[in-house]
Amino acid sequence: MLRLEIRGITKSFKDCAVLDGVSLGAEAGEIVVIFGPSGTGKTVLLRLIAGVHDPDRGAIFVDGQDMTDVAPDHRGIGMAFQNFALFPHMSAFDNIASPLAARHLPPAAIRGGVERVAKLLKIDQVLAHAPRELSNGQKQRTALARALAGSPKLLLLDDPLRNVDAKLRFEMRLELPPLLRQSGSTVLYVTQDYKEAMALADRIAVLIGGQFVQVARPDDIYRLPETVQVARLFGDPTINLIDVIPHTAGNGVFATISNTAVAIGEQYRAGVGRAALLGIRPESIKISDAAAGLIPADVVATTPLNERLVTLLKTADGHELLVSQPATERAAEADRRVGLQFARDDIVLFDKASGQRLQAANGVGRS
Amino acid sequence: MSATDALSLDDVDKIYRPHRRAPVHAVKALTMNVLPGETVALLGSSGCGKTSTLRMIAGFEAVTHGIIAIKGRSIHQLPPAKRNVAMAFEGYSLYPPLTVRDNIGFALKSARLPKSEESKRVQNIAELLEITDILDRYPSSISGGQQQRASLARALVRQAELYLLDEPMGQLEPQLRAILRGRLKHYLRERGMTSVLVTHDQTEANALADRIAVMEGGVLQQIATPRELKDRPANLFVGTFIGEPPMNVFATRPEMSNGRVRLLIAGDEGLAFDYAEAEVGAAVRKALASRSSVMLGIRPHAIRLGQPRLKAKVLSNQWLGDQSHIAAAIAAQTIVIVAHQRIDVRVGEEIPFDVAGTDLHLFAPDTGSIIAHGGVPI
Repeated sequence: MLRLEIRGITKSFKDCAVLDGVSLGAEAGEIVVIFGPSGTGKTVLLRLIAGVHDPDRGAIFVDGQDMTDVAPDHRGIGMAFQNFALFPHMSAFDNIASPLAARHLPPAAIRGGVERVAKLLKIDQVLAHAPRELSNGQKQRTALARALAGSPKLLLLDDPLRNVDAKLRFEMRLELPPLLRQSGSTVLYVTQDYKEAMALADRIAVLIGGQFVQVARPDDIYRLPETVQVARLFGDPTINLIDVIPHTAGNGVFATISNTAVAIGEQYRAGVGRAALLGIRPESIKISDAAAGLIPADVVATTPLNERLVTLLKTADGHELLVSQPATERAAEADRRVGLQFARDDIVLFDKASGQRLQAANGVGRS
Repeated sequence: MSATDALSLDDVDKIYRPHRRAPVHAVKALTMNVLPGETVALLGSSGCGKTSTLRMIAGFEAVTHGIIAIKGRSIHQLPPAKRNVAMAFEGYSLYPPLTVRDNIGFALKSARLPKSEESKRVQNIAELLEITDILDRYPSSISGGQQQRASLARALVRQAELYLLDEPMGQLEPQLRAILRGRLKHYLRERGMTSVLVTHDQTEANALADRIAVMEGGVLQQIATPRELKDRPANLFVGTFIGEPPMNVFATRPEMSNGRVRLLIAGDEGLAFDYAEAEVGAAVRKALASRSSVMLGIRPHAIRLGQPRLKAKVLSNQWLGDQSHIAAAIAAQTIVIVAHQRIDVRVGEEIPFDVAGTDLHLFAPDTGSIIAHGGVPI
């Protein structure tokens, strides 16, 4: 376990800036997921920490010591960078044993170390097999076991569940957190799958365009995304974004959607008169019979999504909205006029021009 | 085969006979129908026979045995162009010298529409599929995903008796998927279009199809509505293939005495799913009486937390914003539980849970075929 801190890291390849002054701290034993769309520099960041690349600017601290200019193998931090490719001529056992063997441990210690992780990952029955005799799932687990075997203080995992079928990915997603906790490692984990990020992370660092746009606990990112872009990267189906211009009426602040004034809360008083995007998650909208005060909309189609029903609706003024509800609830009939409502607390408001979340005067989106 | 079917396949086989290699029986005795206005999805993993089936319907592959008919008229010996079928799939690409707009418009030529009506239809379908910005580009200059949507648009604007769509939403960015699925479903339904789509993605099949034909090893396993596939899977394959996360499966030994029905969990017979006779129904009891073992299937969403019938020790508890996924250990096995709300339990805690007798699925251990669903006889 160690504390990792990167400060102001910048990295360009040729003239293309990949990372633009990023800073991030990971506490000892913490799992930090680096999440973002492809091509945003996630892998480059891991490789910089691993020492495969040197940063143009910035520094990497391990337990308070500057390690930026120390060669990777002299950093003394027992780092594991997961590599998918197993050595084809070696058994699963020897693959997993390789980081231990490299340290010249006695055979009994190597055997003990391999068997411990193999058992955790449920591959203890196939240790004698060559990689070609393993199923895809077993190969994946073997690669992960190899990364964990050396009890690294810092574990760098680069999208380890990529290229795994949905069933196995789900299984591994459930199994990974207890494994990573038991390893005691500080973990940096790269993924493009928001569900994986939410499921595994103590904190998620959202990397977009070479910068961390938001670093926070999973639920805070989901509920209070800093920008429209972050909001759209989390959630399935994607968050609804509706063009509004907040206005006041009486004592309240309102947004008008499809000719219906919706109270959005006092905290958005600063947004009055500005072009804004009202964000509301599909699972936060309730469909009822059409009635005064509700947003009128017509049902376009209902498309089941696992055990949820996703309904596409069109408001009277032409906005498309998605609503997601448990499949145990009754589906709205196609072409029916219905009324939509949502709780004020479930709204996030963004400045349309900048895409930034509009904050309350006291700096909190909502209590 | 019936004249009321928009499409019917009757005992259709496809055998590939590659040179100097063993023949491959890709589709085996496939019999199914598609009703007028219905959307049927062929769903399965690669090599299950779904694409061969689609290609036979389109006319790109010869039928080895059996009959394919549209509205009761056999078509499997007609060339593709004579079948009045609109297609969007790989190997049926856009015309490179034409812009996307002209590619889509070309499909409308035979309808001899006024120019303004033709361009209106092209514009509408392009808006629906979010490709208006590439209408004036050439196929070679757009991405694979855009080509796929342009090809889908070209098929959908046509008048045809049947629409064949291969992975229609395959390469779409996740942010667009839900809206485009909704629009496409509405478009197909509003126009009463009969369609067959092929996909390996059950999410797509569930979203778009009225009925899903699940294929495996060239054999149709079950054709049913998405709801029926979940509630009444025909066999263990369908039961575990359909549903995300997949169904939990336990090997059990049934035991009936003193007015109770117990399913003892193999490996730890101290643990059992234990029901009063009335909770599981007479037909199930009858089916169980002659068996020494059954596979018990339980959907992750059917597990109710907090009501004690059994206990499991929590391994993970993951909140994904709109649902909780929990893994828990019971009898050296992992059970997966899904809830629509946040569940306040920690790793290491024991959680009580219940499964209603009506939510049990019982399969034969040897064949995998269904014995009983939730107290309802088969």
